[in-house]
Amino acid sequence: MNTHPYLRAYLAGVFVPTLVLPIILLGFITVRLLLEAPFPIERFLVFPLALVPTLFGLWNMLFLWSSSRIHQPIGLHGAVLPILGAPIGALVASCLGLLHFGDHGVNYFQFVQIPYALLPVFILAAMVGYYLVWKYIVGSLNRVLGIA
Amino acid sequence: MNAHDEDRMKKLLQQALPPVDADTEPDRDLWPAVLRKMKSEPIAPPLFSCAWFDWALLAALVAFVAFLPQSIPVLLYYL
Repeated sequence: MNTHPYLRAYLAGVFVPTLVLPIILLGFITVRLLLEAPFPIERFLVFPLALVPTLFGLWNMLFLWSSSRIHQPIGLHGAVLPILGAPIGALVASCLGLLHFGDHGVNYFQFVQIPYALLPVFILAAMVGYYLVWKYIVGSLNRVLGIA
Repeated sequence: MNAHDEDRMKKLLQQALPPVDADTEPDRDLWPAVLRKMKSEPIAPPLFSCAWFDWALLAALVAFVAFLPQSIPVLLYYL
């Protein structure tokens, strides 16, 4: 188990988004087909499908590389990821027409209105979620795969 | 390696390694000490042993989602 530690770190990082994606897909297909909401599922899925797993994998590789140098807890390492991922996700969403910046706030997916004052709270919530996911799921996977 | 070299190597090895005594048994039974050592070592931490702080964070996140259900698709978008 001492070979290819970075490959194992990448696979451990990719695990969570890959697992969550079918749940997201199921939820939005339900919304689209059962509730007949005019929601652009295909455009929505670009970021979670293509970029988030890659971000998780690369972030876990970075954790493996840096943990021998600065010994940071994996939960805190994961909690920092939304600071990097949120602007990338917002940029992708904006380019795909899923995010619009208004006078008083941002409009996600044409039905979620977030005032600018609440944006830090959203980022904080994302950081909390990432902290828990990284500490208890990615960290456990890293231990199982022998890289933690 | 000829026969002379082999004899020489044999002598060198015999000089390097002391002869083993016939009575090599320890003077007491070591197995109880091994058992005591195994019992005294901490068990590996379970995979999901949550601290109270993490429970509080989880509760705060659940409360946030409950108060702002429209945040669910946004949070899922980033996961």
